[in-house]
Amino acid sequence: MLELNASLRKPLWVGTLAVLLLVLVAGCSGSKNAPDQNNGAQQSTNQGANQSANTDKPAVGGTFVYGRPASVTSFDLHNEITSNNAFAIDKVFESLVTFDSKGKIVDWLAKSHSISDDGLTYTFVLRDGLKFSNGTDVTVEDAIFSLQRHLKVGGPLAIAAKVDTIKAKDSKTLVIKLKEPYTPFISELSNFSNGILPNNFGGVSEKEFFKKPVGTGPFVVEKWDPAGDLTFTKNPYYWQEGKPYIDKLVYKLIEDDSQAINQLKAGEVDAVESLALQNANEIKQGADTTVVTNGSWVTEQLFFNTLDKHFSDVHVRRALALALDREGLTKALTFGYAQTANSLLPTAIPYNSNDTIKALNFDINAAKEELAKSAFPKGFMTKLLVASGDSTRAQEAQIIQAAGKAIGINIEIESIELATFRERFFAYDFAVMLNSGQADSPDANSIIAFQTDPKGFSKSYWTHYTNNEVTKLLYEGQKTLDGKDRAEIYSKLLQTLADEVPYIPLYYPDILKGVRSSVNNIVVLPNGSVRFEEVQIKK
Amino acid sequence: MIKSIKSLYQPTGINTTCGWLVIALVRALVVILCVMTAVFFIIRIVPGDPAKMILGEYSTPEAIESMHHTLGLDLPLWEQFIRFVKTLFTQGDTGNSIIVGTSTRELIAERAPITLLLIVMACVLAIIIALLLATLAATHKDKLLDHLIRILPTITLGMPIFWVGLLLILVLSVRFHWFPVGGVGEGWIGTLYSLTLPAITVAFSQIPTLVRSLRAQMLEVLESDFVVTLKAAGIPSRVILFKHVLRNSALPTLMLLGVNISYLIGGTLVVEQVFGIKGIGSLLFTSIAKRDFPVIQGIALYCAISVVIISLLIEIISRWLDPRTKGK
Repeated sequence: MLELNASLRKPLWVGTLAVLLLVLVAGCSGSKNAPDQNNGAQQSTNQGANQSANTDKPAVGGTFVYGRPASVTSFDLHNEITSNNAFAIDKVFESLVTFDSKGKIVDWLAKSHSISDDGLTYTFVLRDGLKFSNGTDVTVEDAIFSLQRHLKVGGPLAIAAKVDTIKAKDSKTLVIKLKEPYTPFISELSNFSNGILPNNFGGVSEKEFFKKPVGTGPFVVEKWDPAGDLTFTKNPYYWQEGKPYIDKLVYKLIEDDSQAINQLKAGEVDAVESLALQNANEIKQGADTTVVTNGSWVTEQLFFNTLDKHFSDVHVRRALALALDREGLTKALTFGYAQTANSLLPTAIPYNSNDTIKALNFDINAAKEELAKSAFPKGFMTKLLVASGDSTRAQEAQIIQAAGKAIGINIEIESIELATFRERFFAYDFAVMLNSGQADSPDANSIIAFQTDPKGFSKSYWTHYTNNEVTKLLYEGQKTLDGKDRAEIYSKLLQTLADEVPYIPLYYPDILKGVRSSVNNIVVLPNGSVRFEEVQIKK
Repeated sequence: MIKSIKSLYQPTGINTTCGWLVIALVRALVVILCVMTAVFFIIRIVPGDPAKMILGEYSTPEAIESMHHTLGLDLPLWEQFIRFVKTLFTQGDTGNSIIVGTSTRELIAERAPITLLLIVMACVLAIIIALLLATLAATHKDKLLDHLIRILPTITLGMPIFWVGLLLILVLSVRFHWFPVGGVGEGWIGTLYSLTLPAITVAFSQIPTLVRSLRAQMLEVLESDFVVTLKAAGIPSRVILFKHVLRNSALPTLMLLGVNISYLIGGTLVVEQVFGIKGIGSLLFTSIAKRDFPVIQGIALYCAISVVIISLLIEIISRWLDPRTKGK
C-alpha cells in the first residue's frame, strides 16, 4: 500500500470541500433572485385569495402565473372538448350568455335575451361598443357565422337543439328559431363552445385563425407552445372597462402534482389548477397559501355495466349500494371538500333533488337480504376497473372492495393507466368501474342525457342502462319549460335511478384551486375554469 | 475487466482501425433500426387510442372516426409502418406530432438542449465527486474514512432517484429557498443555477457505482509492482497518483460510465418530471400518456442514437487510452 504524504492529502480535502461549498454558495446567491421571478408576489397574509369582490382600489398590473397539468393544444372551440383547451378557449372567446360562479345564466355579449312562451324563439340583443381584440366591431353577422359553423362542425359539444333559422332582426338583434322546444338550449349557449368569433375568421384561413385566435375575451394569445406554456396579454378592447386588472396571464405547464404544489409554496406560481383533495389542507394551512373552492358540476360515481352477467341483476346492484357507506367514504376521503351524493345531479345544478331523493343508504342487513333475492345469493367474484394515478380513487376502490366482501361479493381491483382505461370502458369491457360524470352546462339535462339515454353514443354512460320510463322522462324534461313541471319530471327520474342504481352516486367533489394568499378576487366556476378578469395581485 | 470489455467491443478477425469502425457503425445502424421497429409495434399493441385522448370521454364515435382518418390511424398497421419508414428516410423524421401538430424533429430540437445540458452537468458532477471520494477512500484504505465512503453506495443505491429529487426540493427549495423548485431559469447563469438540483439528483444515482469501481481500480494499481518501483525511485506521491494511478484506473470507470449512459438518460427523464423541466423526459411522459405515436418514436430514435454514439465514443476513447486495444 502506497502511503501518501501530507502534501497530497491536503488538496484532496480542499477539493472535496470546494465542491460542497460551490453547491452551497450557488444556493445562497440564488435565494435573493427567487422571488423576483414572480414579480414579488410573495409577501402576503393568509387572508387574500377570495371569491368576493374587493372594495379597495384595484391593484393593477402584474403577471399571474397559473400552474396547469396539461398544455393547450388547440383553440378550435368547436372541435375541442378537453378541459386543458376549454379553459384557454374561454379566455379568448365569449358567448352571448354565460354562467356565474353559482351556475346561474347571465347575459354576457348579449345585453339582454328573451325566450318566447312556446319555447321556440330566442332573441338576443348585443351590447353596444363590443369589439374584438383586434379592434374591429362585433356584429350580428359574427354571431350568426359562429353559431352556423358550430352547427356545421358538430364536434364533441354539438348544439343539440333542432335549429330552424338564425337570422339578424337588425344590426344588434339576433333571432334563433327552433323546430321544437328544447329547454336546455339557453344553458348550452352559455358553453365555451358557443363563443363568438369574427365572420369568416376575419379574412384568414381557419388554420391561421386558430393559431392566432381573435375573440372578445379578456385575454389575447401572445406566445403559445402547444407542448408547453401559454402566455396571454390583456385585451385592450375588452368590453368590461378597466378589466382585466392583470397585464399578463401565464399558463405554466407543470405535469407533476407534487412539483406544482411545491412551486405554489415557493411562490413560483400564483395558483395551481389541479389540487388533489388530500393536499388541500396542507395548502390551506400554509403561511402564504390558501385554497379557493366552489361547488362543481361533477358527480363521482361507481358505474355498473348492466350487460355484465352479475350486474344486469338489479338486486345485485341494489345490494352493493346498500353495503356501501357513502357518507363514511365521503368523510374519509374528501377532507370536507365534498358532499355525499344521493342523486346523479350535482347540487350546483337546478333540480338536483339531493335532499328529497330516497337513496339506498348503508344498511348491511338490507344488503344481504337484497343479495339473497338475486340470482347470486351466495355472492360472486368480479373486477373493478380504475384508472391509475389517482390516489383518492384508489382508496375509493379499496372501500368498495371491503363493502363487497361484507356481503360476499369479492371484488378484484384492476388499476390501469388512463389511455387503456378509456379504451376499456369505451368498449364496454368492464363489470364495474369508478369514474365521474360531469355536466357541461348548468342544466339538469346535460348530465342526465349523457347518463340515461340508451340511444345516445355513450349508451347511458357505457352502462347500457335502459328503462323506457326514464327515457320518456328524459325527453319530456327537454321539452318542458323551466318551472314546477320540469322539477317534478326530474325528481321522478332521479328516484327511479336511485331505486335501480345503474350507477351509485358517491359524492359531489368541490373544485379546489391552490392559490397564493397574495391573490385577490379569483373566481372559480363550477365547470372548473377560472375567471381572471378581476384578479389582483397584492404588491 | 479490460479484457472482457475488449472482447465485447472488438469483433474477432478485424484488427484494422478502419475495419473496426465500419463494423461498429453497421452494428449501430442495425441496433437503431431494430429499436425503431420494436417501438413502432409495441406502442401500437398497447391499448389506448390517441383520438380518444384528444377528444375526451364525451366524444361521439363520428368525431373519433373522423379524427382517426385525419391522423391516418384508420389504415392497416403494415401500411402505417411503410408510411413511417418512408417518412423516416425521406424526411429524416418520425412525422408530425398527433397531438400538437408540429414536426417531431422541431419538438425534440426545442427540448433536447436542456436535457443534454442536464446530462452533461450530471456527468461532470458525478465524475468530480466520484474521483474525489474514490481517491480519498483508496488513499485511506481500511481507515474510518474509507469505510464511510464504502458504506455510502450501499445506502444511496437503494434510494429511488425521484425520491432523492423530492427530498432535495423539500429541503433546499421549499424550506431554505436556495434553489428554484422547478422549471428552467433565464440566461446561462439562470439555467445552470436552476439545473443544479436536478443535476445533483441524476449524479447521485451514478456516484456510488463510479466510486466503487474507481476505488477498486486505484487500489489494484496502487498495489501493482510498477507503482512500488516508482515509489522506491523517489517519485513524489502526487505525480504517482495523478500521472500513473489515476490514468490507469480511469479507463474501466470511463467504460462503466459509458455502459451506464442508458441508465443516466433514463434517470434524467424521470428527474425532469420531478423538477418540472420541459426537456425530452417530460415530452416523453406526455406523449406516452396521450399515445402520441410519432413523438414517442422520435424520442426512442433520439435516445437510441445517443446511446449508440456515446458507446462508440467511449470505445474510441478507450482504444486511445489503452494501447492494448488498438489494432495493428
